[in-house]
Formats: sequence, structure tokens, C-alpha cells
Amino acid sequence: MAFDLTNEEKAESPYGDEEKIKSNILTVNMGPQHPATHGVLRVEIKTDSEIVTEAIPHIGYLHRCFEKHAENIDYRGIIPFVDRMDYIGAMNMEHGWCLAVEKLLGTEVPRRAEYIRVLVAELQRVASHLMFFGTYSIDLGAFTPFLYAFQEREFILRIFEEISGARLLYNYIWIGGVWNDVTDDQLNRISSFCDNMEDEIDKYHNLVGLNKIFVERTARVGVMDKEMCYDYGLTGPILRSAGVKWDLRKDRPYSIYPEFDFDVPVGTGEQGTVGDCWDRYWVRMREMKESLKIIRQVLEGIEAGPVMGKVSKIIKPPKSEIYVRTECPRGELGYYLIADGGKIPYRVKVKSSCFTHVSALPAVAPGQMIADLVATIGSIDIVLGEVDR
Amino acid sequence: MNTATPPLTFKSYFGNIWTAFRTIFKGLTITTRYIVAEKPVTIEYPEVREVLPELSRSRLYNDVENCIACNQCATACPVDCIYIASTRRDKEAPKIKTKDGTPIRLNLTQYTIDTALCCYCGLCTTVCPTQSLTHTTDYEYSQYTVDEMKYNYLEEDIKAWRDRIVK
Amino acid sequence: MHEDLVQIINQAVPEAKAVLNKAEVGDSSISINAETIYKVCETLKKNDKYEFNVLQVISGTDYLPEGEEGYLELAYILASFTKNHEVIIKTKLPRGTDSNLPKIDSLCGLWRAANWQERETYDMIGVEFVGHPDLRRILTSSNWEGHPLRKDYKVQEIFNGMVVNPPGKMNLGDQQFGVKSNADSLSNKKPMGL
Repeated sequence: MAFDLTNEEKAESPYGDEEKIKSNILTVNMGPQHPATHGVLRVEIKTDSEIVTEAIPHIGYLHRCFEKHAENIDYRGIIPFVDRMDYIGAMNMEHGWCLAVEKLLGTEVPRRAEYIRVLVAELQRVASHLMFFGTYSIDLGAFTPFLYAFQEREFILRIFEEISGARLLYNYIWIGGVWNDVTDDQLNRISSFCDNMEDEIDKYHNLVGLNKIFVERTARVGVMDKEMCYDYGLTGPILRSAGVKWDLRKDRPYSIYPEFDFDVPVGTGEQGTVGDCWDRYWVRMREMKESLKIIRQVLEGIEAGPVMGKVSKIIKPPKSEIYVRTECPRGELGYYLIADGGKIPYRVKVKSSCFTHVSALPAVAPGQMIADLVATIGSIDIVLGEVDR
Repeated sequence: MNTATPPLTFKSYFGNIWTAFRTIFKGLTITTRYIVAEKPVTIEYPEVREVLPELSRSRLYNDVENCIACNQCATACPVDCIYIASTRRDKEAPKIKTKDGTPIRLNLTQYTIDTALCCYCGLCTTVCPTQSLTHTTDYEYSQYTVDEMKYNYLEEDIKAWRDRIVK
Repeated sequence: MHEDLVQIINQAVPEAKAVLNKAEVGDSSISINAETIYKVCETLKKNDKYEFNVLQVISGTDYLPEGEEGYLELAYILASFTKNHEVIIKTKLPRGTDSNLPKIDSLCGLWRAANWQERETYDMIGVEFVGHPDLRRILTSSNWEGHPLRKDYKVQEIFNGMVVNPPGKMNLGDQQFGVKSNADSLSNKKPMGL
């Protein structure tokens, strides 16, 4: 109570002196359990009424020390662990790991296995971007598109369960090829899904993307321009929405991507400035259409043959090291692998794209309102399993 | 950081209101179609139970009469949840074989899988040489205590579920 | 490309003594002296022909051969998004002790991506970066002891007043069934020496 304090205490306490009350910066915790942070991310926000002055992210709540586990398990057994880092885009994570080990061993992967790997990786990209579309809409308050997106995603997960045995953590892409073959009936169903999906994407864009309320909340918000992307190392859809035409599948191709014809969508600032949240949303929607194009070309060109190459029972790469990057739905994922000639790796370092994306948040946040901060965090599309590993 | 909005004129103020009405009306035509024309897709569990595809990796089952105790599944498991103990058979004991003809040289004294630790990766079933360890498609097996999740495949009551679910 | 880079580095920063490690299988890398890392990275970033404008990874590895002192090796992976190539640069550091960690210059002035990568290397391997604006632990708790990715790391006994890995609750299967798990057969008992 103010009248109980002594004169010295009144001078110090903020409630006893009117001048001090005016300049009060409030610290709010957007805590680890929060529906809009896509996982266990804690953002410490310092606000001055509604404007954010500082946003400091704290991570490490989902740290399972994958890199220490990788020093105790053999090369084949790491594949289930690799899935669990980015659990929404698991096929792409496995693809990168198998590419790294195969380059050290020098094994040749059969053609049919390469086609199946591309088919499965692009289907996973469509599923991951559908998840982004659904959860971003629900972050901004639109409850309906969430269920529409998940209904479409259900078809993809069911196909994956028939091919590989699991809905989310597959253990399907193995070193030397793929574990199981794909039947013609499944390929026909994927083909009719592709035709259906093109119309659905247009429908969702009319429902959400062109809606004036959505545009007002996301255009001109959270601008990340080209210089900031190079400085912080941001990649993937964020770099493409800033106007840079950089896609690892075209510029540093791996697997059989050079044989396919597809376009790389780039942000143009249609409803605001280049590099804002609306551009990131629009780049991801167009990327889904390009993935469907690639899937159609795979279905036309798939060849018959074996699905697993010749790999010895115990995998022992020679003493060497390699760094391999692949294009995952969230950015570029890199594996830096140091092998020592034994059954298990010596050191595995994972360069995860979401880790660098979260580090760019303190630069974008000052000057925004708290609702804009939610829109920015949602548009970066993070998965905490990949941030913390 | 955000960039500033363009200056507000008379024309842009009313233009914004008209765009808002137009786009919201277009969105409403899309959602009303779901109320009147599309069928619901919910599966009403537990009255209707979904049948999982054949390859689906759910509850594990080991047919111990066909197991040769080679320890391959325990070595391949990345989380070490399979516990196997076996002793050598006497020389005078009758020679027995598995279903596909492999001779059994070891007596299996203990075969336990801790299904609460298992990560359902499927590595153990791919290395089993006699295909006695398989994944079934049963997905309703929750228990009240964690100890009940350690399945001892040599017990009689476990063998009883073979007839219920093994394909 | 690697021989050209070695020449450029040795011309601009002679104290670096850059050496090419050529590899037939996998990626080649360039080893330099640890004290010159800032000047070398600045040369590579400002070079017109190669333009390394993105820092991708800062990773540390602990080498502890049996009976020897061992050392730490830091690898910096730089990439160029405009000229489309990448290079691995390695430096060696002594292992130091818990109270006296090995020191190296921080790259936060050149790329802001170095901020979180260096915090992670400090947390996991135990290297102190001189000049870093905010060096504290990032993935583990702020009062954690030890650096987990070192080869001789042992988990602490007590954390925040709780016993870590109490014997009555861990690895129950081993005690209950009297059978040890298979972890020992695969673990690398002898660390690699170079």
C-alpha cells in the first residue's frame, strides 16, 4: 500500500511515483505451451502497450541430443532417428541422410528406386505445405481451412501407410534404394489425386489467400529482404519470397531432378512488399502446384526393375567426411558426416533450416504489434523437432 | 519490422470496403457448398472400426515355436527393447525344425519385448530369418500400468491372441 | 577451385598457412591457423570472384585418441548463393579444461548467422568465442554442467536437487530379466586418432 512506504521506498517503487508509471515496459511470456508457436518455443516479448520492443526466443525444450545418439548406433539404425527430427517432412530427411552415406560408399541406386524416392519426397512436400496452410489459417483465427487441408492430407498419409507401413515416421528410404515396391493400383490412385488437387488449391486460395481480412493481416508484415536473408542464412521459401530464384533442386541438383521440368516460384510483392508474410504464403501455394507437376512426370516415366541396390550387410564407409544439402519443405537441410571406417559414424552434424530461421526473429519483431508477431512466427513455418534436434 | 501502408484517400477507403464484401461473399459460396452438397467424412469410431492396411506397423507378435534364437532382432533394434536368453539343447534331445525347415539348436528360455520402449520402426522384422517376428495390424492394446506393456511371448495367454489377429 | 582458394588465402593472410586436405572420397577441406580465422573469412567474403556470402554451419568435433592429449577441430562451412559453390575450412584448438576453455575469434561482425551457431558450439563442445555479444547456453538448461558432445563427457549426478538417472527407475529390463542390452557391442570403445 502506498501510504505504508517510507519516503525512500516511494522514490524507488513504480507505483508510488506517477512519472515512473508512464514508461513501463511489460515483459510477457509467449510461453512454451502455446497453440500458436507450433511446438514448445518460448518467446520473451517486451512490449510498450501494444507495440513490441524486443522479442527473444528461447529454445531447447525438445532437445533429444540426436547428435550424441548418432555416435552409438549403426548407419541403418539411424534412419528411424532421422525421421523424428522434422516429423512433418520425414521422407526428405531420410533422403538426405541416404544420399550422404551412398556418396561415401559409392553405391549405385537402381532407376526405379530413384523414381520412387522423388515421388515420395514430392508427395511429402505437398503434405507439409498443406499442414502449413491449415495451421497458419487457424493461427490467424480462421477455423474452417484447417479441416479442409487435413482432409486432403489424409489421402497422402493413407497412401504412405500402404507403401511403407506408417503414417508419419516411415523408415522407408534405405541406404541403397527403397524398402518396398509400389503397385500399379497405388500409382493410379496418386494420379487421380493429382488431378483433383489442382482445383482444390485454387479453391483454397480463393477462400483464404484473396480474402481482404487475411490480406490486411499479412501484407506488409514481417518483411525479410534479400540482404537480411544472406546475412542470417535464411533459405527455402523465405529466400524465394524475397525475390531470389534459388532452389537446390535446380541449382545443385541431386538424385534424378535434372530430368524433370518444373518452375521455381518467386515472391513479387503482389499484395504488399516483396518478402512479407503474404508472399511467403503465396510461394508455398505455388510450390504445391509445381510438386504436382513433378509427380505427374514421375508417374509417366517410371521404369520397371529392382528397388534395392547391392549393399553389404555391414555398412562401413571409408575414413572420410562429406557435407550434403537437400531441399526440404522448410528450407535447406545439411548433413555433415565424419566417418572413421567403422560400423558407426564418428560425428554427425545436422544443419537444420528452422534453427537459423528462429534466430532471425529478434531482427524482425521490433515495431510490430503482438498480433503481427503471431502472423510472422506462423509464416516462417517452424517445426520444433528440427530446431532442437 | 513492417512497412507503412499507402496513404488513405477517399477512393481507397470505399474501395477497401467493397473488396472486403466481395471476397467474403466468394468465400461464403465455397463453404456453403460443404453444408448442402458434400458428404461428411467422419468415421464413427467405436461403432465403425477402421481396418489398417496389411503392411501397417502396429503390435508385434513372435511365434516362439518357430524362433531359432539367433539374436538378430535384438542387435538390430535401435532402442534395445528386446530381451532374449537361451541355452544350448542337449545332444540326445530330439531334433526339431521350424516351419520352413531351419533346424533349432537353442532352447529359448526367455523372449520379452518392452512394447512401451519400442519405436515401431520395423527393423527387427526385416532381419528375422524365419519370419517368426512380425508386425500385426492390431491397434487397441492400452494397459493400466507400464509393467503390463512388457510382453513375454513364452506365456500361454499371449499365444491365445494369435488366432484372433494374426493374418 | 580449392587450390585457387589456398593461394588467395596465403597471399592475403600469410600467417594463416593454409593447407589443402585433398580427399578422393567425400569432400576436400582447407586447414588454417586458428588465430587468423576472422581475416580469412573476411577475405573470402569480399573476394569478387568467389563471393562467399552465406555462413552455413559452425561445427566442432572432439578427437581423443587413447593415451594421448587430443584436440578439438572446428569446421566452418561457407557457401555462395550467387556463384554457387561451398567450402569447408577447418582449424585445430587445444582441449582446455572446464575453467579455462579454448578461445577463438567470433565471426558475429561478418555474418549474423554466426550468433546462434557459436552459441551451440559453446554449449555442446566447449569453445569460448571472444567478442560474441551474448555467449550463453542455448540447447541445454542454463545451469547445466559439462559439454555433452565431448568424448569423455559424463552426466552430472545431481541437477536442480534431483538425482539424474536413479538406479531404481532406469533400465529396468536389464535388472528384471538379468540380460544386458546390446548397446555395448556397437559402441565405439576406442575413439579415432588422426
